[in-house]
Amino acid sequence: MIQMAGYLTLAVALVILGVAAFVYARARQSVPNGNASVYRVRKYYAAALAVALLGALAWSLPHTPYGAYSSEEPAMRVEVIGRMWFWEFKPSDGSSADSLVIPLGKAVEFEVTAADVNHGFGIYDSEGHLVGQTQAMPGYTNRLRLKFDEPGHYSVLCMEYCGMVHHMMINGFTVR
Amino acid sequence: MSTTTGALKPREVPEIDARSRRLVTIWLATMLAAFVVMVILGITMRLNQGAAIKLMPNTFYALMTMHGLGMAGGLFTAGVVLIWYLTALRFQMNHTVMWVCYVLVLIGVVGVLAATLVGHFAAGWYALYPLPFVNAAWPSWTIGTTIVSLMILGVAWLVMQMDIMRVLAAGYGLKRMFGLEYYKGEPAEPLPPAVMITAVCATAGILGTVVGAATLIIYLFKWVTPATQFDPLLLKNTMFMFGHTIVNVAMYCGLGVMYQLMPAYTKRPWKVNRLLVISWNATLVFILFAYFHHLYMDFAQPKAIQILGQIASYGSALPATAVTIFGVGSQLYRSGIKWTLTPFAFMMSVVGWGIGGAAAVIDATIAVNRVFHNTLWVPAHFHTYFLVGFVLILFGFLHHHLNSRAERLAGTGFVTMLVGGYGFVLMFYLGGLSSVPRRYADYSAIPLPSVSQPGTHYALWGALFASLFLLGALVFFLSNGIGRRSPGEAAVAGAGARG
Repeated sequence: MIQMAGYLTLAVALVILGVAAFVYARARQSVPNGNASVYRVRKYYAAALAVALLGALAWSLPHTPYGAYSSEEPAMRVEVIGRMWFWEFKPSDGSSADSLVIPLGKAVEFEVTAADVNHGFGIYDSEGHLVGQTQAMPGYTNRLRLKFDEPGHYSVLCMEYCGMVHHMMINGFTVR
Repeated sequence: MSTTTGALKPREVPEIDARSRRLVTIWLATMLAAFVVMVILGITMRLNQGAAIKLMPNTFYALMTMHGLGMAGGLFTAGVVLIWYLTALRFQMNHTVMWVCYVLVLIGVVGVLAATLVGHFAAGWYALYPLPFVNAAWPSWTIGTTIVSLMILGVAWLVMQMDIMRVLAAGYGLKRMFGLEYYKGEPAEPLPPAVMITAVCATAGILGTVVGAATLIIYLFKWVTPATQFDPLLLKNTMFMFGHTIVNVAMYCGLGVMYQLMPAYTKRPWKVNRLLVISWNATLVFILFAYFHHLYMDFAQPKAIQILGQIASYGSALPATAVTIFGVGSQLYRSGIKWTLTPFAFMMSVVGWGIGGAAAVIDATIAVNRVFHNTLWVPAHFHTYFLVGFVLILFGFLHHHLNSRAERLAGTGFVTMLVGGYGFVLMFYLGGLSSVPRRYADYSAIPLPSVSQPGTHYALWGALFASLFLLGALVFFLSNGIGRRSPGEAAVAGAGARG
């Protein structure tokens, strides 16, 4: 998805720059009502953009993280508490929080909150891809459900600026 | 001292008087001087992230806070000055109001500078509650100073915008200044587009500023009475409603100037019609609701509100591109224009706005935001529509406003800025694609080489490109200092709406 977003942005940027170069080159020509064709193109552009945006809405809304795996009973729940500046894990099965192990291929629910200020609970796989995140906010519990299909070590980084040691607020767990 | 009382009649030919011209020059010179300082702070931060220098984290985050407050506040202030200029083209304005606001802004800026650079206040520019008050590494006085300074800035913004609205309402009437009479058909007396855009921008700006003021009053109460507790989610909503709105309004204010000045270069009229009215009034609504996309990762926020945020963010793309960007294209295409820096800067600003806007719309998709939220993709898109968008309008306007004749030198500086600016934002985009988190003093602690190494690498290149941008900006300023047209030459140059 990240790569697709990158290519899409690059494509849009190239189209805009290309159109700008075209307009720049043609702008020196003086033609009475020479811009009538721009208005004709605009109608098609507006219709195409509206269709594209509606299509993107239809495609993307079923993929929001809010209701992920809602029909499944999580194999494990982990209470996550963000504190200045460390992550505290409390697995529901009573296993060790120091070396947290998450089951492979099964839905897991992270119940994320904060003890002091806003933090961001971001999970990275071993190759450095951000696989999911939610905010950790005092007084609220954000429930993030994920399913890990790759075994290995996952790192948890803070994704919301939370003060002096924000960039070192790191923890992790193992999936197997 | 000139005052405006009762119903006002706009000038038949838009023209700015000498005192208003001087006032705008002083305001913009001040804002651009602040902009240069903020760019230097930004370069310093990227150098630290690139491991080329070593700052203590408290210093880095204080610079980050100052940079964010300075850029967001400074550019919004510049935007408000631009719509004041648009109003002053048509009406005699009250200069005392603007000078009082100028002093208030200076006081506010000095307060924020003292709190961040001296006291190391470092809660970030949007200072999410309750970070400023919890286990802070900064002294208490810096919290109060920042809050009060921001309130002083807010008072100045509010007064300036209210004064603009007062004059427009007196001159055109509330209904007419938003172009609402176009819903019934073409009115007998056409409305200049810059008036409608000014009304839309000032309305959104006032609403955002008022919400910001309410938030700051709560912050002030919390500072005075630490035992009091407030709701973090509510205050996150109000803070982003304020912050997101003002940074967006800045860009739209710049577009108002473009609608006003571009026809003077292309010799083509740019008129209000029903489509333009619908577009800009819809923009007003979209601006106010799009901020929800900042809270997508707050799952406690009702899902319907999150979806509303995506719809409003998507919706803003339609009028922005189909009306304004195409409008610029239709102004220029086969117009016979003699290219000078100002129209070129205006064209390139909508290019930057379009590219940054596209990246923003992609990030405003909830399913995508899941992997982009608070990565470097975020500063990538907002730096695009600020640095190679709104700032280019400011530079183009300044070139026009100062009657600069040093086209070649200004052009050299401007192209250098473009190369530096696009290189700079590209490094942010590449960082975002590598999932590098934003707002990290450095990346050395990240245990993932595939994140930390590109983060460091791109930061260093970003600092170099930003330095190139700064060099171009300084050359541009120099060009405006060494060559000015005389009033007679300026008239011959054909800028009919010359201010």
